Amino acid sequence: MSSMHEHKIETPNEKQNRHKAMESVNVLNTLKEGFKTPPKAMDYFYNLFEDVYCNQKALHKDKVKVGTMCIQIPSEIIYALDGVPIRLCNGFYTDDEIGSDFLPQKACPLVKASVGHLSSKNLTDKPDMIYSPTTCDQKTKAGTLIASFGYEVVDVDFPRTKESEISREFFRRSIREFSADLSQKMGKKLSRKNLKASISKIGYAQSLYHQISEFRKNKIVPILGNDIFLVTNAFFFDKIDNWIEATEKLVEELEQRVKDEVNAAGKISPRIVYTGSPPIFPNYKIPLIIEDSDGIIVADETCSSNRMFNDRVAVDEWFVNDMIDSLADKYLKACTCPVFSKNDDRIRRIVELVRSHNADGVIYQAFAGCTVYELEQRSVLEAMEREGISILYIESDYSPSQHGQLSTRVEAFIESLKIKNRNKK
Amino acid sequence: MFIDLEKTERNLLVSYAMKSKIKKIINNMNLSRVRFWIQLFSFVLFVYGGYFAIDLGSKLPIFTCPYNEQSGATCYLIPLQHQLSMPAQILLGGAGISVIVGLVTFLFWFIFLNKAWCGYVCPFGTFQDWLTSLRKSMGIRYSTYTQNQFERLSKIKYVLLAIVLLAPLLMGVGALGSEWSAAFCQICPARIISPMFSGDLSQWKIDFSTKTSMILTAIGMIFAGLFLVGSFIKKRFFCFFCPMSALHFIFSKFSIVQLTKDGSKCSTCGDCYAVCDMQIKDIADDVKSTNILRDDCILCLKCVAACPENDALHFDIFKIRAFSSTREGFEKRMGLHKPKGDSGE
Repeated sequence: MSSMHEHKIETPNEKQNRHKAMESVNVLNTLKEGFKTPPKAMDYFYNLFEDVYCNQKALHKDKVKVGTMCIQIPSEIIYALDGVPIRLCNGFYTDDEIGSDFLPQKACPLVKASVGHLSSKNLTDKPDMIYSPTTCDQKTKAGTLIASFGYEVVDVDFPRTKESEISREFFRRSIREFSADLSQKMGKKLSRKNLKASISKIGYAQSLYHQISEFRKNKIVPILGNDIFLVTNAFFFDKIDNWIEATEKLVEELEQRVKDEVNAAGKISPRIVYTGSPPIFPNYKIPLIIEDSDGIIVADETCSSNRMFNDRVAVDEWFVNDMIDSLADKYLKACTCPVFSKNDDRIRRIVELVRSHNADGVIYQAFAGCTVYELEQRSVLEAMEREGISILYIESDYSPSQHGQLSTRVEAFIESLKIKNRNKK
Repeated sequence: MFIDLEKTERNLLVSYAMKSKIKKIINNMNLSRVRFWIQLFSFVLFVYGGYFAIDLGSKLPIFTCPYNEQSGATCYLIPLQHQLSMPAQILLGGAGISVIVGLVTFLFWFIFLNKAWCGYVCPFGTFQDWLTSLRKSMGIRYSTYTQNQFERLSKIKYVLLAIVLLAPLLMGVGALGSEWSAAFCQICPARIISPMFSGDLSQWKIDFSTKTSMILTAIGMIFAGLFLVGSFIKKRFFCFFCPMSALHFIFSKFSIVQLTKDGSKCSTCGDCYAVCDMQIKDIADDVKSTNILRDDCILCLKCVAACPENDALHFDIFKIRAFSSTREGFEKRMGLHKPKGDSGE
């Protein structure tokens, strides 16, 4: 009898979990039910996100988990040493609010959310160590902050220009140090065999992404951009073999969809290339607005998706040091991150994506507080104007509040693209 | 009428499908294997051609050295030096024509392959690649130059080309003695090493007849020694200093084959640079030039084979793409297959 009257007060962690589950379910339900029927193979990814973010399921209990603060830590090396890379970039508003206690009001929501999440110590796959490349100011400082919560954080030096020979040598050395450090912690040596195997495994995963990109170049696009964000986002933390298997199934299904002319979008939906601050689950605010407003995202230039898969590693002689150097070059020279002094490579990538995917326009999102993307806005807009490509620049954050205003702007842009297309004919 | 149209249309489609199929086969090829066999064939042809009574003349744009008696042709630098060393009045008279004929013959050979003569045909280049394979099989890593060293050393080949051209000319006007004829050959490592391929070690000697010969042949011995050690630890060590390569570059624009880059498709990832035997940085970093053939290039096309972007780099014959970089070809060559079993085999 007495148990009926027992009141259990929710702990802060339980509250955090509940709020995050609510955010997750919201997005997953929209993806599952808010659009035309998604590919069957997407169920794996919907379930994965539900398991991890609603049911707190740990995926890597028996493995050493290596947290990474940015894209520039080569996961090839982590896998070769039997670790599991976990990318700690976070998209939850719940965690963003927790992180606000540690960072300035105007800081980037992604950094705040990542810090907030780690400060709560409420992680299903808690990283055993964290590598923090010194990319943007906020990420760089966040590393130290996170260390103060009791995590083992190692800074990995990252240069802010990439054209010079010095920067190439610098980062090659930096990655060699990282490999040595991790190798020592894992008690395992990098060998020609294990590094080559992990390079070809990641390379194969990348080739699956590229196959999907080919389908998205078609006139009839077989899958939503939001679903693709979910697939690439899963690569942050999923078991890589499971991810590969699930993505293979998706590739097969998409191939069939292309043959059957199954269109994920409408007949005249404008084709959008998405660029800027990365959409990370469940912050698919802008991508969802775009595809809700009858746009279809056919490609993206972000570090949560395209940038993880686009660039490959080539080696002339498969010696460990050659592989490490080539990895370092890939993660530095091909990187289109806005932290660099010049952004010509990023502009060329966007233009190339627009051309190859036959896109009608570009939508550029910057998180309020994501200084580097805000700073590059002007040069990208100018370049797009020169190339005759329509572009919309939007500032947003993780809060659910400004939905109405944002969707009005996106809808107007997409409508204008439709009118433009109609006039062309 | 209609039937005919349909037929031609079908034929066109068939020929188009055939074309794209052939293209795919070429773009997916295992370049290193293809290159190995071409190099082996050329090596036998030029080093042992004499056994088969083959003589392709004396104006070849490669180091096929006649000091090796079995060689199937002669390096153009030999007749060039001989012609230029004629007394000035003869050279400026009728003999000048022979120089021009010689150059035209050289160019005739050259325009067909451009610098691919270096990467595919030159026996001296092939020999260096085999030394590289030997090193590789011993598990020793290659060495590289720093950017500064590269920039400074890269000029040496022009100094050597100047010796090829100026020494005989100065001899012709009487400023230098007759031992300066073919001065470059005296210091060239190919003179000493090529005869070894047919078992002749007699060039490993210093010529004490005159002071100049002594110095020149002694330098030759040192260069030959450096060549053997250098090409063991550094890929294509000698090509970097080769005066023939410098001479090629002067005429390279006139060749029917070219190495071309589409910078808009390049992500500057550096894969091409990583595999470049000659450490040419522009291949990765220059996104503005269309013609990406640099003076050190040996047109081995390893960069095209290692490029993961569709059509970013291509090898053109008469401006038609004969071999293009493709994502698919890259994945095939790098062995990116479906992994077996759990992580880390």
